[in-house]
Amino acid sequence: MTTQLFLVSIALSCVGAVASLAAKRSEGASKTIGCVFGVGAGVFGLLAGLFSIFTPAELVSVATPFSFANFSMLFNPLAGLLLVLISVLAIAAWIYGLSYFDEYRGKGLGSAGFFMNLFIASMDFVIVSDNAFWFLVFFEMMSLTSYFLVIIEQDQKSIKGGFLYLIMAHVGFLMIMIAFFTMAGITGSFEFSAFRATSFAPGVASLVFVLAFLGFGCKAGMIPFHSWLPQAHPAAPSNVSALMSGGMIKIGVFGILKVGVDLLAASGCALWWGVLVLAFGAVSSVLGVVYALAEHDIKRLLAYHSVENIGIILLGCGVGFIGMAIGQPIVALIGFVAGLYHTLNHAMFKGLLFLGAGSVLYATGTRNMERMGGLARVMPTTAMCFLIGSLAISAIPPLNGFVSEWFTYQSLFNAAFAGDAVIKLAAAFGAVALAITGALAVTCFVKAYGVTFLSAPRSERAASAREVPVAMRISMIALAAVCVVLGLGAPFIAPMFEHIASSMLFVQPAPCVPVSAGLSNVNVGIGSIVSTPLIAVLLIALIALPIVLRAVLGKGGVAHDRDPWACGYVPDGHMPVVATTFASQVRMFLAPLYDMRDALARQSGRFVALFQGAVKGAEAAEGVGDKYLVDAVASFVTWLSRKVQRIESGDFRVYIVYIVVALVLFLCLTVLMK
Amino acid sequence: MAEIILAFVQALLLVLLAPLVSGTARWMRAKMHARKGPSILQDYYDIAKLLKRQDVGTAHSSFVFRITPPLFFGCMLVLACGVPMITRFCPVPALGDVITVVYLLALPRFFFALAAVDSSDAYAGIGGVRELIVGVLVEPALMLGLFVAALATGTTNIGEMGVAVGSLQVTSPVGLVIAGIAFAMACYIELGKVPFDMAEAEQEIQEGPLSEYSGPSLAMLKVSLAMKQVIMAAFFVAVFMPFGSAVDCTLPALIAGAAVFAVKLIVVFFICSLVENSMMRVRYKLMGRQTWAVVGVAALGLVFCILGI
Repeated sequence: MTTQLFLVSIALSCVGAVASLAAKRSEGASKTIGCVFGVGAGVFGLLAGLFSIFTPAELVSVATPFSFANFSMLFNPLAGLLLVLISVLAIAAWIYGLSYFDEYRGKGLGSAGFFMNLFIASMDFVIVSDNAFWFLVFFEMMSLTSYFLVIIEQDQKSIKGGFLYLIMAHVGFLMIMIAFFTMAGITGSFEFSAFRATSFAPGVASLVFVLAFLGFGCKAGMIPFHSWLPQAHPAAPSNVSALMSGGMIKIGVFGILKVGVDLLAASGCALWWGVLVLAFGAVSSVLGVVYALAEHDIKRLLAYHSVENIGIILLGCGVGFIGMAIGQPIVALIGFVAGLYHTLNHAMFKGLLFLGAGSVLYATGTRNMERMGGLARVMPTTAMCFLIGSLAISAIPPLNGFVSEWFTYQSLFNAAFAGDAVIKLAAAFGAVALAITGALAVTCFVKAYGVTFLSAPRSERAASAREVPVAMRISMIALAAVCVVLGLGAPFIAPMFEHIASSMLFVQPAPCVPVSAGLSNVNVGIGSIVSTPLIAVLLIALIALPIVLRAVLGKGGVAHDRDPWACGYVPDGHMPVVATTFASQVRMFLAPLYDMRDALARQSGRFVALFQGAVKGAEAAEGVGDKYLVDAVASFVTWLSRKVQRIESGDFRVYIVYIVVALVLFLCLTVLMK
Repeated sequence: MAEIILAFVQALLLVLLAPLVSGTARWMRAKMHARKGPSILQDYYDIAKLLKRQDVGTAHSSFVFRITPPLFFGCMLVLACGVPMITRFCPVPALGDVITVVYLLALPRFFFALAAVDSSDAYAGIGGVRELIVGVLVEPALMLGLFVAALATGTTNIGEMGVAVGSLQVTSPVGLVIAGIAFAMACYIELGKVPFDMAEAEQEIQEGPLSEYSGPSLAMLKVSLAMKQVIMAAFFVAVFMPFGSAVDCTLPALIAGAAVFAVKLIVVFFICSLVENSMMRVRYKLMGRQTWAVVGVAALGLVFCILGI
């Protein structure tokens, strides 16, 4: 059943891709075809994902002419989670695209529909592939299709960002390939099932894990492999950014888990793997948000926040690996629950925020927050959705970001209680990093929301902005609703993650580790408890109460029509705080971190040379094609026609001779054939 | 059931008595300055007067500006239901996790700063940004202190931490004491007092975001800020100084617990006043140095804790 649903989804994607390319002439039709088929594929993908989570794992294997490349697909709960995540984002992105793609008329809308459909299909295939060869093929296809989406605007910035992305994607690809080939060389098979069953020597297992961790880390955008995110994500259309930043980088996390937990299952896991993942997570989370704070381009800001959230996910996963290494199932389980929960949460609120940023871009024509302001008044729906996303990403209770960060903290506490001095130190380091990250994220989203949507408009375009069309609003509202449900419904949703994590970790029957009790989430490791529904109810009631009180007790009336106080001067539009106010204040305290980035991320001469070399190479290669293919064919035709001219004397008797000769020849042929 | 009633009584008492606490703190400071000073009931008079005034705001402000005072107030009420004050256990255990409390404190901070930006007032905006950055600088010490306390007591629930400390069943007493000192320093910075802040100067960190508020909204924010000070003090007392608070829900125990809590609050705010009046205002720019020193103290606590001393 799962397989059929999945294949229908893939088929719809492929048909949508080809049809939108075929209808390229009429851009409106092409857009509609791409979006409608995309939504259909998303719905079937979502169903396939849900079936994979809740039904027993399903392995399908089709033989191909090449013995090493059996086409195997595995639908297990982990793959199901990723399928659900990608599909929900894809549905939102396609619905959004119905209106948003109008901005891209004349820039190759047909190919956008083509590549985006294929991009989603290849992500789906990467998730379910159970053969190293096909995994790599689809992984590469995912990188290439998204590369074409990044460079769709075809201006200097997007081409440069796309090039950086392409390079980083292939650096990661190379490391993953070496990891897989090492395993394949030892087992003599490309099948993941063979990897799973083999117990590798500890040195080999560690090598494979580190290569895969760094390789998939490039895709996930963890520091120090993050430089492509703030360049590539903003360049793509906003709904593609949502898919890339919310969905594609999760494939990196998925890969790390797949290799570390699943493929190396028989080899065991070393303690230092977990500490390594935890350390990378801690550094990524703090630096990601620190760099986000300095941005005034709203999409770059969001891209840096993906680096931060990948760090938070890695913190949870790191604890999971530590728990596996020290043989503590509860520590491992809560760690992976935290990591997986945040994976889904981040996909939802980051998707929402990128769509919100896209709406702002659609309405004002700029990504620069300094030129916005006051948009909450003219775009109330967008503003409300963006606010929900901002609260969720800042881990404000009772929304979903809070739930997964609570689990992350709890998993760190669990590890600290269960482990020795090294683990205690690592866990404390992780907790402090997460605390700083949380406080900085609040700062950053006060900036992002406040400067964009509040105060007075700071440009003509911002003052005359209009609310976005209904399709775009629907998809934002849907994702905002998902964020609220994932937060308030945590006591009912967390057991699903417990099921996924335990299916990853244990052979059935798994030990029973409840993560919910009644209307609360619990951490059985140390008996902690939190209840988001209760917090929500209390907050609503206790905020409504003072609103009523103020209305009743306040006797002087309300007048919100004054100029702000400006110390006696006449207030003007340049006085209120803007994005750079935040950046300069933060820079005052964290200057060394920015200096470090500037030193590290200054594009090296070698990269620039490589880029220019690639451009020159491309120009030259363009000529090569002409010279050896087009030119050769052209000159051959000329040469042939010159030869043919010779036999065309114009004399009708010669033609008769030709006909007779031909007849004789054919007669001989028929005789010979018999 | 008794716990739920206790939670609401606690929240109600907090609302009614918070202005008294802030009034007393003002009175103590005046005495230390050898001034006559206002009455300890002055904050009640201020609130009563503000309620009669018109609620004036800036022209470009949105719903965020309008909803922030009730939201701040409501968050403090929710916190008051979870943080133990007169008892040793949490009235509502599902609200008493340290992580939940720390993140519930982030919600009003988010909106407080957002309202400051929303008011279009340059001074309010700067105040809002500074408020956030103080939060960033304080957070590591706060969390590390709590982490050590959790390691030493084996739980992350404030009430259970208090029970463990109160019965002296901790794995590393020295580490806990050091972490307590770091946590107290971090809480003190959060309170917004000299040398880090001066709550009565309009352009300073704490009062800055208030500069566009007036009338009932201002009254509500003033009460909320006073409530926040009491809650921060209660947070510290509940984890590190739970001695003397009620261990069960009987009436005599609760009354004794309330009396002990009042004494503790007076001591805490007296010490705060002493610190406040014996220091001078530090330059905001240099604040990072002090906060990193506090993180250092907390890290020392962690080291002791890991060594099990």
